Amino acid sequence: MDDIFALIQAALLLAAAVFVLLAALGILRFKDGIPRVLYARIHILGVADMACILALLIMGAPLLAGAYFILAPFASHAIANGFFYGEDKQ
Amino acid sequence: MDILTLSEYILMAALAIYALASVRIASRKNIGMGLVGMSGLSIAVATILVIVQSIYGIAFCKDIATALVLLGPVGTIAFARVLRGYNHG
Repeated sequence: MDDIFALIQAALLLAAAVFVLLAALGILRFKDGIPRVLYARIHILGVADMACILALLIMGAPLLAGAYFILAPFASHAIANGFFYGEDKQ
Repeated sequence: MDILTLSEYILMAALAIYALASVRIASRKNIGMGLVGMSGLSIAVATILVIVQSIYGIAFCKDIATALVLLGPVGTIAFARVLRGYNHG
């Protein structure tokens, strides 16, 4: 039974690793000349955030995962809001 | 080496690559890009520290990860408020 749990944990960790690698590829892939590319990068950041939350849950840190699950959308919204009213309007 | 430890090492390598990508994004000239990069770097380093604590049994890594997870988004929100400016409420 423990072997099955270990296999499921390993599969989920590998899935998180794939998502993190895709996020790293995607965050570098967009050119800086594209207008408002920051919103796309915030979107990609959300993918990596959720992959890290999945990894934290599997590694036995559910409180950290829950705290970041609550805080990450606020941070992403604050970045987008600050960019919209701060830099994008200039 | 069992498959769980191997997958932890693979995830750690992927997170290291993502951390380097985040630093590269943070070095752009926009302030918003810096915020995106630092937000990604903080969660990547926190997850790496939790994996290090799991593999090597170093207990204080989890304390540093807790501080990073809690203070990273708070700092991002605070700096984004400054970026937004004081004229918009």
